[in-house]
Amino acid sequence: MNSTIVSYFSTLPFYNHIIGFFNSLFGENGQMVFAFTVYFIAAFIVVNILSAVGGLGTYAERKISADLQARIGPNRVGPYGILQFLADGVKMILKEDIIPRGADKFLFYFAPMLALLGVFATLAVLPFSSGLALTNLNIGVFYLLAVSSLVGIAVFLGGYAANSKWSLLGGMRGASQIISYEIPVTISILAIAVLSGGISFDKLIGAQGGFPHEWFVFHNPFTFVGFFVFFTGALAETNRAPFDLPEAESELVSGYNTEYTGMRFGFFALAEYVEIFVVCGVAAALFLGGYRVPFDLGGDTLIGQFLQIGSFVTKTLLLYYVVIWVRWTLPRLRVDQLMMICWKYLTPIAIFNLVGCAFWLVKFDGRSMFNLIMN
Amino acid sequence: MMMSLASYLVISAFLFLIGIAVILSRKSLIAILLGIELILNAAALNFVTYSRFGSQDLDGHIMTLFIIVVAAAEAAVGLAIVIRHFQLKETIHIDEVSQLKE
Amino acid sequence: MFHKLLFIMSTVLTVASALVVLLNKNIMHACIALLGSLIGIAGLYLTLGADFVAATQLMVYVGGVVILMLFAVMLTGGQDFVSKTQKLFDLTPNMGNATSYSVGIVSAALFGMIIYGLTESSLSSIPKKDIDPNLIEASTLERLGELLLTDHVLAFEISSVLLLGALVGAAIIARPDRSTSSSANTSEEQ
Repeated sequence: MNSTIVSYFSTLPFYNHIIGFFNSLFGENGQMVFAFTVYFIAAFIVVNILSAVGGLGTYAERKISADLQARIGPNRVGPYGILQFLADGVKMILKEDIIPRGADKFLFYFAPMLALLGVFATLAVLPFSSGLALTNLNIGVFYLLAVSSLVGIAVFLGGYAANSKWSLLGGMRGASQIISYEIPVTISILAIAVLSGGISFDKLIGAQGGFPHEWFVFHNPFTFVGFFVFFTGALAETNRAPFDLPEAESELVSGYNTEYTGMRFGFFALAEYVEIFVVCGVAAALFLGGYRVPFDLGGDTLIGQFLQIGSFVTKTLLLYYVVIWVRWTLPRLRVDQLMMICWKYLTPIAIFNLVGCAFWLVKFDGRSMFNLIMN
Repeated sequence: MMMSLASYLVISAFLFLIGIAVILSRKSLIAILLGIELILNAAALNFVTYSRFGSQDLDGHIMTLFIIVVAAAEAAVGLAIVIRHFQLKETIHIDEVSQLKE
Repeated sequence: MFHKLLFIMSTVLTVASALVVLLNKNIMHACIALLGSLIGIAGLYLTLGADFVAATQLMVYVGGVVILMLFAVMLTGGQDFVSKTQKLFDLTPNMGNATSYSVGIVSAALFGMIIYGLTESSLSSIPKKDIDPNLIEASTLERLGELLLTDHVLAFEISSVLLLGALVGAAIIARPDRSTSSSANTSEEQ
């Protein structure tokens, strides 16, 4: 069943009192109104926290890149410059909001909103812990993939509407790149779904354990390769280097967001950084055991929940670091190399992995490598 | 009463007719493809509606999935033809696509 | 209550966006309106308890078909074409033309016939079953998977062949042919 944060609430002792209170206020619809209120508050909190994480992402990016290049990086605002992203945000809000001449006004306004919508809608199924996921849809990963494809349209529209050739080229590259790399990513996820027997996040994570040898990444050789296919494709889908062709500074000024100013540019940047967090979270949930902690420490208590959140966030942030590290280490690809990697290498490898995982499931009854070695 | 069989059917009929009107009235090849998508979606909505209110099994859902697949294939091939035609004749006006008439 | 709210919102989005597809002269905006209409239909699927179909609708249309349409609009010139579109509701000075009138009459007649057929007693002949409220919440995922690989496996396999054919065919059709393009260039030079 679709367990949600409200069903989690309904196990609490004072739940009936709250429902009674809401029933006295709204008649028989009290339970619905209560559910709506809880969802609204929870979604509000998650969206705001993730926005802050996205903001901190820009700070982390600058600090880590400075570290890799033997510089100091931002260090003026707050301790170690950690409030730099707030200063950036204030600066962006105060900037003038310019619409280029000849731009398609409606689409120009619409594109950044669409990017934010596509990214934040994915947060509904992101599993922070066994208790803290906004909702646990039966079609969890599939929903996430479906909603995040809005970002591709937003990138294309942002590039098209600005009436600038740099933007147009960036938007075209971005859209074609995103829909191309969706294929290896989806097939890699399918391989995991075959092994775990479901595409909801609690099934995917429940099939793994707290220790690394119980994770799907070390389940068999095919999933090990599949993890790297997934991660590479995810990097490309978020338009990160070495796949940042849509924003290639040396050719396209800044790609699809060249003409954007102020907070509209900020929306695109925020969407990008939150999307990296989401993608890393999905990679952690699918391949690295998600929120599972060794020995299920803490169990279902509040402490257990915090340990689970810690486990999930640690894995996600480690992957986040890898993403930034890759960006400041590897040079940018050419467009033909980008498409060649996707269609000639990643997609065949992903399909081979899918077949291999199915074979492994039948041959070894779904047991992992370590399980086989131990016995 | 509001979420009844009839209301879904009316929405579906409305979408179907808008699709017909788009095909008849607009003169761009791409706009005609948009109208075809609307018509296909109206049919798909009908299948799911009857699957819910009529038989209550999932055959209608399966049919809708296949409609979506066919619509995607149709859009890919149709748009390829449109782009090719534009490359050759530099127009996508439906009235100027009349070479077979002559 | 929230099913009703979702139903109303989806209906409004679907119908209004479909009207925009019909009336907006800018074909780029019409594509975006089609996107809204498709998302509204996905919402309607949700109110009917078809969660997997709704997600598939989003995945295929948003991630595939609409982006293809946007690409096609951009590659074929997009806004330059606006002036040539039929002005269906252009009120100056001749109040439309023969095409717009015939379209309007045919559409209105068809719509009237369908509404008449719906409100006629034909609907009451369908056996009305009580809807199991648990069925709305239950996921269709497992049952759909079983059906696809048992009862409908032939259609499933054929659709894969269809997709392969469409993919290869679209790639071959859209590929610029070297000989004709070079001859076109030479004709331009002449």
